[in-house]
Amino acid sequence: MIKLRGIAKSFGKQEVLKGIDLTVEKGEVVAILGPSGSGKTTLLRCINYLEKPNAGEISIDDFSVNCRKPAKKDIHLLRRKTAMVFQQYNLFRHKTALENVMEGLVVVKKLPKEEARRIGAELLEKVGLADKLDAYPSQLSGGQQQRVGIARALALNPEVILFDEPTSALDPELVGEVLAVIRKIAREGITMIIVTHEMGFAQDVANHIVFMEGGLVVEEGPPKVIFQAPKEERTRQFLARYTSDSAYSI
Amino acid sequence: MGAKFDIQYVFDYFVKLLPYVRISLIIVAASIALGLIFGLLAALPRLYRIPVLQRLSQLYASFFRGTPILIQLFLLYYGLPEILKLVHVDITRLPVLAFVILVYGLHSGAFVSEGIRAAVTAVDRGQVEAAYAVGMTGFKAFTRIVFPQALAISVPILANLVIATLKDTSLAFTLGVMELTGKSQTLPTISRHFTESYLALAAVYFILSLALERLFLFAERRLLKHENLTIKESRVLLRRKWLNRRENVKAAFSKGGA
Repeated sequence: MIKLRGIAKSFGKQEVLKGIDLTVEKGEVVAILGPSGSGKTTLLRCINYLEKPNAGEISIDDFSVNCRKPAKKDIHLLRRKTAMVFQQYNLFRHKTALENVMEGLVVVKKLPKEEARRIGAELLEKVGLADKLDAYPSQLSGGQQQRVGIARALALNPEVILFDEPTSALDPELVGEVLAVIRKIAREGITMIIVTHEMGFAQDVANHIVFMEGGLVVEEGPPKVIFQAPKEERTRQFLARYTSDSAYSI
Repeated sequence: MGAKFDIQYVFDYFVKLLPYVRISLIIVAASIALGLIFGLLAALPRLYRIPVLQRLSQLYASFFRGTPILIQLFLLYYGLPEILKLVHVDITRLPVLAFVILVYGLHSGAFVSEGIRAAVTAVDRGQVEAAYAVGMTGFKAFTRIVFPQALAISVPILANLVIATLKDTSLAFTLGVMELTGKSQTLPTISRHFTESYLALAAVYFILSLALERLFLFAERRLLKHENLTIKESRVLLRRKWLNRRENVKAAFSKGGA
């Protein structure tokens, strides 16, 4: 179980997160929605400390980090318990698809190379890239790169995978293949937090929707409630475009 | 000055100069190795913005980039022993070669530090974030992810530096080191065929430079194989352009050329 309590973050004078509380149960898929600048990506990046929160507490099961005075060791441990899929993929450019997936296993988890290779090949097959093991990122399409990114995150066997707008940088044509992979792993019971603009996908894949604006959680609940009967006017407004009859499909 | 031009002397001197290629290359290799260490040491404080050291490394780089290497040679060779005498350290017995290598090392280190800084900054920030996200420490992220990519980016800069250093070694003879240039001056003292000697000398340097250039081009291709023909030419030498055209190497390499 992942618990965020009072996460706050400012960039200079600008308060981006104004105290976020969020609980994610094991195996749950949480989608964070909201307009641009609402702080959703910052929140996600705070969870694995790519962004340093100014205050609050992050806990995963019985391990917790006090964001006011985090120990370096704790940050490192937190990062090992989480994995991230980036908007811009951020694959290691000088490594092949297989090496990208193996890297964390060999360097961080200290697995023997053969075992890492076996796991890597297995995972790449799972995301449909069995024939691209030796391809460099520059030889892959955006959708393929993002699928390698997902395999890389899966390999670490983390408590939670954080998805930062995983399809925003993709050609519309390639969005489907990435969403299909995410959907597939969601079914396997892996805990995920997804920041996305794909409303249809969020509605379909998530068990829990969080709607954010202005650095605060405006409303949260199961997708049925949020999409069909939101309590807050602002949520209704934001979702209006997506819930009209031309239902967004992927 | 000298005797009537005779091409035979060019070949003759060329062969006689060859044994001295070794000493010139030793100076280059040792000083570049030293330069890489100095350069890395000087680049780190600036990359990590360490307060006082950052200033010192800036000063170091500006000094060695901003003064002629000949002056640096004189300063260290004649000046350093005098200064060290004040603290009762006697280094006047050190071989000249040691001074020469130290000076070239410091000199190239200044350029290396700038090169490293530029190359590391050129590596996408997302690479570091991804490394952190898979659980690497800052050190691992640097050695496993950032450094190899920065190295590939900096190969052309390094190539320029090595070739420049090779040519700069011609100044070492001013301190009496018998390397290529020094030898080329002593060879014709009896025959008076100076022009031939310099011609042979130029040929030796040119061939060495050319060989080094090819070597670095090869290294660049190997290190950047992941970038798949998207290598940006940061420098276009006339020789290289010509070689590229002749060899008809892949499109990206002749970009900006031909």
